[in-house]
Parts: sequence; C-alpha cells; structure tokens
Amino acid sequence: MADVQANGLRFHVQHLRGGRASTDRPTVVLLHGLVLDNLSSLYYTLAPPIARAGFDVLLYDQRGHGMSDGAPTGYDVDTAVDDLAAVLKACGVTGPVHLLGNSYGGLIALHAAYLHPESVASLILVEGQCLDPAHSGLRPAAGGYPGGWVEDVANTLNLIAIGLECNPLGGDLGSRGARKAARMRAGADTLLNQTTLIEDISTVRLLTPGELAQVKCPTLALYGGASDLVDSGPMLAGQLPDCTLEIFPGAAHALLRDAPKELLASVLRWLETHSPAAPQFTGSAGGYRLPASGGEGAP
Amino acid sequence: MTAETAVPPTAAYAADAVLTEVVGLLVEVVGDEILIATEIDRDSSFNEDLAVESIEFVALAEKLEARYGARVDFMAFLSEMEMDEILTMTVGTLVDYIAAQPAGEPGGEV
Repeated sequence: MADVQANGLRFHVQHLRGGRASTDRPTVVLLHGLVLDNLSSLYYTLAPPIARAGFDVLLYDQRGHGMSDGAPTGYDVDTAVDDLAAVLKACGVTGPVHLLGNSYGGLIALHAAYLHPESVASLILVEGQCLDPAHSGLRPAAGGYPGGWVEDVANTLNLIAIGLECNPLGGDLGSRGARKAARMRAGADTLLNQTTLIEDISTVRLLTPGELAQVKCPTLALYGGASDLVDSGPMLAGQLPDCTLEIFPGAAHALLRDAPKELLASVLRWLETHSPAAPQFTGSAGGYRLPASGGEGAP
Repeated sequence: MTAETAVPPTAAYAADAVLTEVVGLLVEVVGDEILIATEIDRDSSFNEDLAVESIEFVALAEKLEARYGARVDFMAFLSEMEMDEILTMTVGTLVDYIAAQPAGEPGGEV
C-alpha cells in the first residue's frame, strides 16, 4: 500500500507486516516530526525491527511532508489528529494502537490519546514537548525554557522562512547535490511561506494539567540528556497518571540519530510488555477468545 | 559451442537484467530527468551520485518489493544496515543483493 485518500488528501503510507505474531497485537503507528522530516527517518530506523519483533507497523507522511499531498492549511494539532484517524480508517486499522511520535509527532500522539482514549493502547513520546511551561504549576526551575517550545519552534521556522524567501535558489544547480538541496529548500519554502504551518504551530494549544490527568494510557517518555527539552520530561511524568520516563545521557533532541540502539531497545521492551498476548483458547466450553480488533473509532 | 539460448542464465546475466529493472523502477520514482544528467551504473551511489532522497528510496524499495516480493525481503536487507550505509549504498550493492536471492515463484524472470 503506498497511497490512501484520507481527510480530503492523498497520504503516502507504508504498512509493514509483523507476520503471524502480530494478529492479536496492537498496530504500532509511527508519527514523524516537522518540515524537513518525513516517514523515512522512522522507516530506516525503528520500523523494520519493530515489524521483525512481530508487530504491524504503519507509517505515513504528514500533510505537506514527504510524498503526501500538500495543503495550504491544516497544520494545527487537531487537524493532525483528524488526519491520523482518517489514515487509520483508510488503512483498515480499527483496534487500539501503540502511538509513537517523534518531536512534533509526539505532540500529535498525546493529543490523539486525550481526544480518543479508547483508540490508544499506549504512547511512546520521543522528545515530544507537550507542556506549556507558562501554565501555573508547570514552570520549571530557573534556567528552564522561559518562552516555551512552541514559541521557540515558531521563531526558528520564521527565521528559516525569511531566509528561504530572500534567497530562494542558492548554489550551483549544475551539480546533483545542489539540485537535491534546492529541492529540499523548495519543499521547506513551500511549507513555511505558502501554507499556514507557522501560524498553526504558533497557536498550538498544549494540554493543561487537568487534561493531562485524563490521559490514562501507559506512556513512555524518552528524552536526550543534552536536549533543550529534557526539563520537560520529569514535568510530563509528574502530570500523566501512568508515565515512565527514560533519559539517554549525552543524546540531544535527535534521538533517532544520537542514540538509535538505546532508543530501539527501550521501544521494543515497552511494546513487548504493553502488548497482551492473545488469550489461550482452552477448547472447553468455558474457553474464550477476545476479538482481534477493539472496536470502531480510530484515533 | 553450446547455443546461447540453451545456457541457463549466469549470475552476471541476471545481475544485468536486475540492473536494467532497478534503473527502470528508479526512473518511475524520481522521473526520467535523472537519465539526462548522468549515466546510472553499478558504481553510482543513490545519495551522492544520483541525489535520491531518503523518502524516494522508500518508494523505490516498495516498487522493488512489488516486483520481487516473493523472493526478496528488503526490510530484512535494510534493517541490517545503519542509516549511513543505506544512504551511501551503490546501485551495484542493491542489484547484487537481488540477484543473489534464490529464484522463488514460478514465472520469475530473473
């Protein structure tokens, strides 16, 4: 399966099969980060070993990213959750899923678990910033991030957007490497200067402590010890009812690059311990078997 | 001399056929402009020489699976590599991997 129509757009999807063992286990859905990211960063790292461990794995390019359709609007987290629900439905995934989100994908995953708790078996948040430090009771100790992650990201994207606008085609287009760089710049330029992405990101509403308390599914929060976001880990773990925090010393925000083996080991361990084995059929009159899927309504 | 048609395909012949098919599928993914600027041969690296983007390589892998699915497990092939190895892979490495797999389904051409 390469493309599905969902929420009015064509999404590029990769669905890796986990074999027989995956039949009664939740599908693992992987959500990538913003702008220069797409499903390939997860496809080359986490997806194959998770599939080999016996899980179906679903990846897709977010709207405007990778090989999915572009869209002028809809880069807010609520639309992203709607996109997720529509993609899962289009792919026939109906039961609760394990949601793994990297960076902004983590924010989408957390909102999906808040809005559709019945559809999420567990959350794995890789360097996801999901807290508003300006909220009373959440401000970190002195030295934390005073402006908040959303503001930082919006500011950074604005600077990149201005740079692209002022110098849309740099370099010598005669070489292949330059053409590739130009394609990447053109993609980023389109997203940043011709869509509402920056505006949408800057107005993202983060969950309040009261809302976080309602996210009851098991959550694994993973951070790099050298990441700017590491302070938010203990805060998030303190707000979510069932959150396990792991920090990888020395790694920065890009955990997929900085600590790929350690990250994979943690994810596989988590999936194994949070994926109930299929109930045994006893063959007696009292034997039972749970349905393979857990109801309608994808997240 | 044995008639050429009576000789089973050699590994070299198979690799040549696979090379042609891989190039054809690559053109389907990235467009035929790639053929204008340079010749694609076994030594061409997907990243440096052909400027194939990561996401385009994902699409190529999918097409290869559709073509050779019964006999080639690309996810296993890729999952044994570091990301850097995947990005610096040459066309020849990929072709040799495919050509080395045992012929599987009846009707397989290679």
